[in-house]
Amino acid sequence: MTGAARQGGRDAAAAAAPAGAGPRAAPPAALVCVNLAAVVEQAAAGPGPYRVGADGAPYVPAGDGGIVLGVRLGDGVFAHAADHAAPGACLTHGDPAAACALAAQACIGNEVTVRSGAAAGARGMVAGKRGEGGRVIAAFAQPVLARLRPGDRVAVRSRGQGAAELAPGVVLRNIDPWLLARLPVAVAGRRVSVGVRAVVPGKLVGNGIGRPTPMWDLDLQLTPATAAGYGAAGLRLGDLVAMTDIDARFNAGYRRGWASVGIVVHGGSPQPGHGPGVTVILSGPADAIVPRVEETEHDGLREGVVLDVAGTDP
Amino acid sequence: MNVASNAARLVTQVLAGEVWPPLGDRHGFRVDPDGHAFLLPGMGGVTVGVHCGDPATGHLGDHVEPGLSVRHRDPAANEALQYLSCIGNAVVVASGPASGAEGFVIGQHAYVLVDLPEAELRQAAPGDQVTVFATGQGLALPDHPEITVKNCGPRLLAALAGGTLPDGRLEVHVAARIPAEAVGAGTGMASEYANTDLMGAYAGLGSDLSLGLERLRIGDVVALADQDHRFGRGYRAGWVSIGVISTGSCRLFGHGPGPSTIMTGPAAAFRLVDDAAANIGVLAGAATGRAR
Repeated sequence: MTGAARQGGRDAAAAAAPAGAGPRAAPPAALVCVNLAAVVEQAAAGPGPYRVGADGAPYVPAGDGGIVLGVRLGDGVFAHAADHAAPGACLTHGDPAAACALAAQACIGNEVTVRSGAAAGARGMVAGKRGEGGRVIAAFAQPVLARLRPGDRVAVRSRGQGAAELAPGVVLRNIDPWLLARLPVAVAGRRVSVGVRAVVPGKLVGNGIGRPTPMWDLDLQLTPATAAGYGAAGLRLGDLVAMTDIDARFNAGYRRGWASVGIVVHGGSPQPGHGPGVTVILSGPADAIVPRVEETEHDGLREGVVLDVAGTDP
Repeated sequence: MNVASNAARLVTQVLAGEVWPPLGDRHGFRVDPDGHAFLLPGMGGVTVGVHCGDPATGHLGDHVEPGLSVRHRDPAANEALQYLSCIGNAVVVASGPASGAEGFVIGQHAYVLVDLPEAELRQAAPGDQVTVFATGQGLALPDHPEITVKNCGPRLLAALAGGTLPDGRLEVHVAARIPAEAVGAGTGMASEYANTDLMGAYAGLGSDLSLGLERLRIGDVVALADQDHRFGRGYRAGWVSIGVISTGSCRLFGHGPGPSTIMTGPAAAFRLVDDAAANIGVLAGAATGRAR
């Protein structure tokens, strides 16, 4: 039985108790589903307009947060002249503690429903998370995204944290288990085989290292000039990526002989120490996670999954 | 260090700071690399008994900050204090029983960290005012245009071993060489603020966590491979950043003893000399520089 099957389908959160279990046998723990309130974010800036790139050039960051149109799952991570641009809208909450809970509990694959504004009733899907302060990335069909406005209220049907190990020692993080069936992830015996765009050495993991992985993404220090050297020139939003010698079960950090896999949730950044961001979904001993590099023919998280969750555009 | 610099043109700003208390939350515990909860002292307050030259990994603590941990109450004034304070700057205690005691800046860690002689350190407490004679940002080495200097007071530059070589490189003595794999939290942040946590220095934990950095000492001058810290902290193959270990023992995963950056440039611009004595403890006996 796969982890995804054991933990139920997308709408089977409470149906995990096995038939035929004795009246006093403890049922396997079911994942808890919590509706969370969130608000569509407005992009924010510091006191001055500029950030400074790795080569010392000041630039005005575009696309870093809020609602970003035209950036889609499947786009190249360096395809847009932007900084940390994510495919969709960033969600947050006005109360800092509630924002942290939103980021910690929302998982990739969770359904998002717009509750106010011109897009009220429309649905989307959690496609990733951002670091620092608690932000969630929600993907929508482009016409829905164009009707969203900062301040619109949304609900996130969170589920996924606490999911059982996929194989011995291989933990799941930040993903609603139903989604695994739509990704190139397969469990075979005691190993998890994962199709990835690239395997990146842990030393390239930048901002996000040392932070709790339920609440931060890991930026890969890749640039358009260096990505090819790591087989990552074709890296796209939604791709799966493996990181060597990174243990991301709790905080992310260096552990020899370990591997972590994540989904690319935002694009590149000119800032030193930053780059395409990865939300971790799997972490375990390297001998239990087997990445299959699909440098040219890789399909990670794509818009079709979002549209399946979102249903018909209301 | 035997090197030409523009130190004579630097200005000194007198900055006020306050010894800041340790901060906690109602949950108390944090998580170590193996997922075990811990509660240990570390950031903030007045940490006695830890000085330059002492083992950086030799204490039961998390982000141990030697000496005084200093901030300013006003956020913008605090940012100025954090960005402008440089290693080696003179610091004088301005209130409380330790009033008049003089020490020096050993680094930044979202606090300015100040080493004081032990007897006077024991008299200090959170809330005490300190005065920092901040000088160093803007320091440049005209004979080494590829090397950027930051967070380095002129007094520290003078006390470092090495200098300009006949072949044009800058000789720097370092107590340890740090592989890029060790660079943890702090990446992607401004290199004039806080420091670079080094992983792989978890004394007593698993060998799969080790990068051979368990013998670092507070105040050690170290070289970080493949790090470009000119405009923030980031990975760049073939570059080197020189730092001073300003914080000690950590249990939080992805964190560890941390160097504050003092120089950064292409590796070819440096000649690194391995020298176990490369430690800023020499400043404890050096002229204060306060009269500048």
